[in-house]
Amino acid sequence: MKAPLAGIRVVDLTMVWAGPLGTRLLGDYGAEVIKIEGPSQWDLLRGLGGISRTEPRWYNRAAYFNHNNRNKYSAAIDLRQAAGRDLLLKLCAKSDVLVENYRANVMDNLGLSFEEVLEANPHIVYLSMPGHGKTGPEAHYVTYGTNVEQLAGLVSISGYEDGEPLKTGFSYGDPSSGIAVPAAVALGLRQREKTGKGVHIDLAQRENLTGFVGEYLVDYSMNGQLRSPAGNTHPHIAPHGVYESAGQDRWIAIACEDDDQFAALCHVINQDELIEDTRFSTRAARKANEHTLNTIIEEWTLKQGHYEAMHILQRHGIPAGSVLTIPEVMSDPQLRFRGAWSEQVHPDAGTWEVETPPWNLPRTPGHARIPAPGFGEHNDYVFSNILGLDEHTIGRLYADGVTADEPNVDSHT
Amino acid sequence: MPLPLEGIRVLEVGTFVSAPYCGRLFAGYGADVIKIEPPGGEISRAHGPFLNGTPNPETSALFLYLNTNKRSIELDLSSIEGREAFLRLAEDADVIIENYRPSDAQGLGLDYETIRSLNPRVVLVSITAYGQEGPYAKYRSNNLIAFAMGGQMFLTGDPDKSPVKNGGYQADYQGGLNAFSAANLALLAAERDGEGQHVDISVQHCMAPILEAGIPFYAYNGIWTGQRRGNLMSSFMGIYPCIDGQVGVHVMARNWPPFAAATGHSEWLEDERFATADSRRNHDDELMAEVIEWAAGMRKKDAYAIGGEHRAPITFIHTMEDLLESPQLSARGFLRNIEHPIAGNASYPGPPWWMGPDSWRDAPAPLLGEHTQAVLREAGLSQAEITAAAGLAT
Repeated sequence: MKAPLAGIRVVDLTMVWAGPLGTRLLGDYGAEVIKIEGPSQWDLLRGLGGISRTEPRWYNRAAYFNHNNRNKYSAAIDLRQAAGRDLLLKLCAKSDVLVENYRANVMDNLGLSFEEVLEANPHIVYLSMPGHGKTGPEAHYVTYGTNVEQLAGLVSISGYEDGEPLKTGFSYGDPSSGIAVPAAVALGLRQREKTGKGVHIDLAQRENLTGFVGEYLVDYSMNGQLRSPAGNTHPHIAPHGVYESAGQDRWIAIACEDDDQFAALCHVINQDELIEDTRFSTRAARKANEHTLNTIIEEWTLKQGHYEAMHILQRHGIPAGSVLTIPEVMSDPQLRFRGAWSEQVHPDAGTWEVETPPWNLPRTPGHARIPAPGFGEHNDYVFSNILGLDEHTIGRLYADGVTADEPNVDSHT
Repeated sequence: MPLPLEGIRVLEVGTFVSAPYCGRLFAGYGADVIKIEPPGGEISRAHGPFLNGTPNPETSALFLYLNTNKRSIELDLSSIEGREAFLRLAEDADVIIENYRPSDAQGLGLDYETIRSLNPRVVLVSITAYGQEGPYAKYRSNNLIAFAMGGQMFLTGDPDKSPVKNGGYQADYQGGLNAFSAANLALLAAERDGEGQHVDISVQHCMAPILEAGIPFYAYNGIWTGQRRGNLMSSFMGIYPCIDGQVGVHVMARNWPPFAAATGHSEWLEDERFATADSRRNHDDELMAEVIEWAAGMRKKDAYAIGGEHRAPITFIHTMEDLLESPQLSARGFLRNIEHPIAGNASYPGPPWWMGPDSWRDAPAPLLGEHTQAVLREAGLSQAEITAAAGLAT
């Protein structure tokens, strides 16, 4: 069975995380993705692998890069040179999709705006995914993942109860944009099919993430009231929180949605008398006395391992989950059952486990087909097989520094 | 120009956030989304926050936001008549979205093989915490539990406090957006050869691989620090209090000179403690003290404007008020004014991406059962069948 994106060629001009994750997902589900880096403008994740620069081809061994760039080919093209721009337009003419996540005006300055690419390929699906979008007074502001969540309003409602705004645990704006890429491209391909024309998609990362807090915006605009961070609590139900368990910095999340689940919880923690206790016998009473209840529950959880507590509670029908650490996530039986990780062999980096495609499409499954490319690994495939350039022309590209087999390692320190 | 998903028919048997968010995106981009609600309405109608704080199934902000552009029908899927009506609708559907536990979904008649026998091209998208099968498939979950099991919670919060979830329903939203991407891929495949499939989305599986460099560093380099770092990941990546709020900085090596210029501290560039990325890491506390002092003297909007001017990654923590007043969002027309017959006028986020001027629409969320009669009549049901299926029989 053909993969959903079989036969679709993608020119990938993205760097760091949001864009590369998105184009990797396109590759996971069948697209041919060609990642373009400049000899001096290479993806800076290649340098963030914790690999000593005295190691041979260290720039091909950064795991952070390799996880987000498998199922791609790599070609080196200096887009700032006229010959490089020309090469890219030729490649666009033989492709279906272009994805870029530069600041708003970078592509325009390179002479690679949507209109210019459209001249080379009237059917191109051109996806831009800058932080602020392609237009507007802040379009040229520099922004990264942690900035995106601040701009989206998420940080203002995150944090401990009645506390200060709190950042997420990582650059949340990036993956939240990356996972939107397959849908955006699929809609673009559909639009192209319908109209016979190319389409420009403008995905502003801050707008996409604002979609994840929409109810707060609607609420504020109706009621004019700002909501404070609410920690792990829920507006209507209790218990609903995170409790310390046995071990060092180990925790379990528990949520009781109704009287039955609460009664089951009381039973498991050997406190059946709480079921009839007027402080806790109704949903409203439990919410009003939430903190007292939390103390009672934590007395029990402190004596349990976070896995044991989860399994016991779940067997009694109570929503509960261990707060998994990264090592625990990688050994989690459910994720293992789904085949969430698989071994990958990379010619420079060796063998280790990477994540598999995240969505189970049983008739058209995703695959981790090829490891992340070394820098410029597929120059010859792109220049000679796809573009049909002769040896002499390709030689000139190397001589003029338009392409290279190795990156200029001095350009990112 | 037709809307991007015009002509696509979606049934949403969704509850709360994840499936409804997926349905919202389908509907906004032009699909005909029929939301199937149980008699009395879906639970987000009872969730709020409500207009003026007064509970009303038609004024819950959560429901209003997640269900724009949809049609609502009431259908009692626990009855034979309700299930028959559902299968009648399923015959004409391109996509069905649901987010019940697998055993609960079976109980509601959401069985892929049955649906497929009536409509082989349908894409059934199931969003669950853990997936359709496996050791935890029967386990119960909600946003909090999924956030814990997806590995994101352990990373979030202060080092000396408990892990904490992010604001709102972030695990659920991630599930919804992942499902929208997956559904659109399956839809492309189904349109090619007329065969659908049962798409299995596990929120845990969507969340676990995207812990920034955490998984790659542990899986490959064998490094895991296991520390939460609160608002200050380092001196150059964090959130700092300022005069009237907080500012955020995220300075990569190449942004260092612009950052020094924007903060009015060009002498940092001459200071050997701060000269390279390594030396800044080695003198993190000292640099942090300097940044704290700089931020404490700034107003948030000034810091943001100066950062923008210098191309230094400085932002400020936008509240909902700041979003409504944002010159950027306003210039782009991102916030949409939508008039709802009962809740009145409010501002809503627009599309997650733009595809031209007519690529997104702005109809309000439906009233409970507003389209029951029309949709079921279109499907060929008699008045008696409609009354029984909707659970309206006396």
